Amino acid sequence: MGLNPFRRSTTPRLEKLRELSLFVDLSPGELAIVDGLLHERDFLKDEVVFDEGEDGQAIYIVLDGAVLICRQGEPETGLLAVVGAGSFFGDIALLEDLPRTAQARAAENCRLVVFFRDDFLGLMETHGVIASKISLQLARNMGRRLREAAAGSGAVHRHL
Amino acid sequence: MSGPARNGSGPVVWAAIVVVTCLLLLVFQKILWLIVPFMLALIIYYILTPPTQYLVYQGMSRDAAAGWNIGLFLAAIAAAGAFAVPQIGAHLVDLQASTDPYVAGGLRLMQHSLEALERSWSVFAEAHLADMARQKLAASGGTAAEHVEDAMKGIAAWTPSLLLAPFLAFYFLKDGQRFKRFLARAVPNAFFERTLYLMHEVDRTLRAYFIGLMKLTLLDTLTLAAGLWLLGLPNPLALGLISAVLAWIPYVGSIVGGALVVLVAATDFPDQPAVAYSAVLLFIIARLLDDFVYMPMTIGKSLHMHPLVTVLMIFAGGAVAGIPGLMMVLPVLGVVAVCGETIGKVVTDPRLMARHRHARALRRSQASSDLSGT
Repeated sequence: MGLNPFRRSTTPRLEKLRELSLFVDLSPGELAIVDGLLHERDFLKDEVVFDEGEDGQAIYIVLDGAVLICRQGEPETGLLAVVGAGSFFGDIALLEDLPRTAQARAAENCRLVVFFRDDFLGLMETHGVIASKISLQLARNMGRRLREAAAGSGAVHRHL
Repeated sequence: MSGPARNGSGPVVWAAIVVVTCLLLLVFQKILWLIVPFMLALIIYYILTPPTQYLVYQGMSRDAAAGWNIGLFLAAIAAAGAFAVPQIGAHLVDLQASTDPYVAGGLRLMQHSLEALERSWSVFAEAHLADMARQKLAASGGTAAEHVEDAMKGIAAWTPSLLLAPFLAFYFLKDGQRFKRFLARAVPNAFFERTLYLMHEVDRTLRAYFIGLMKLTLLDTLTLAAGLWLLGLPNPLALGLISAVLAWIPYVGSIVGGALVVLVAATDFPDQPAVAYSAVLLFIIARLLDDFVYMPMTIGKSLHMHPLVTVLMIFAGGAVAGIPGLMMVLPVLGVVAVCGETIGKVVTDPRLMARHRHARALRRSQASSDLSGT
């Protein structure tokens, strides 16, 4: 019977969010809170997601497709990284109010989830545990990049 | 916090903000039956958002959490009403007897004060200030009961409209985030981050204003109640609360609230005018505390606006839409300023416009990709 108001129901969208590396540590209740703050955007191949030097206001998580991270206006010669489904980019904007350090362009038709910085900061005040779990994932991701940079890997994200 | 919309706007944008604010106030004045419950619903929404979030966090669906919170809120209001209505009713039974002494006390205080002025200043004596005031008041006539009867009719007429407030607040709690996402979906990708910032700032401004207003009311109530209690006036908490709520109307409300307390002081202590003068002094001190301490701590932080602009817009709001204009001008100005500044930045950014044109060209090209050979 459905009399228990605290019975947790899930949706295909929540299932998909649970698979994203940024939210992998969140419980269903925590994911439901974060889900209310996320926006979905569709980008066509070659469409600019953001420019180098632009005010960074949000982090982007790739749900479907792939995104190029490159120097401004140089998607081929200035390629820095390709971000695929399940990964995220623009994460420095979540931590600091700094301009973007590279351009992001859709490598193919893609669907992105957008997490606005002020919503994240609000989460820190209202749901510190959720914010700390997301911050931990951000820190792990940065640590991985540092290790890759130290190892001279070509797949280093230098951004954003 | 810095952001894309806070780098300063030009005089054209600000002229547009002022004009749009005044036009909105004119329109809002015509549909007060909707605007008043809408604003009350916003206050309820911002108060009940944290407990709703808590229930969602505990595993409840958003719809159920909104329903439970509004239900409990209405139950609390009903309980408070059940407690207060019999008491108010008992006072209304002997309304004429209970209000007339206060009116008489106030008139007596005014008469004494004017006569004291005439004794001290020959200019006032020659103008027969006290006689003039007495004649004017005699001409204005009417019993207190008649005025209260009009007020009761007004409350009865407003009741259906006010019942809209919890209904609206329920849907704000239930669908607010969905509505925000629905609005955001209509925004082209090129402007999306700026628009997110705009929506966040509008939400932040309204939240800070209404929550600030509640905090300010609480601080005003406690300050005035403490002062009135020290002066020995009856029902200091109720008088403080009424005066604090009246202060929601800038300037005019404070004067009316102050006059109310002075009337009570003049009546309950007819032979001690010092108590009434002390009440006036208390209101001046409370006003100063309000302007220089409480306001900057609460509402002032929400608007990020130059005090001169705020004061001028309060006067403009009063001139354009009367008392409702005075009450609405600050939140409306705050929201219009955020929207105006952000839209001004977006439409004058050539790179964003170029990206938008590029995205439109890509969508056109994709839509017609299989039609080129036909």
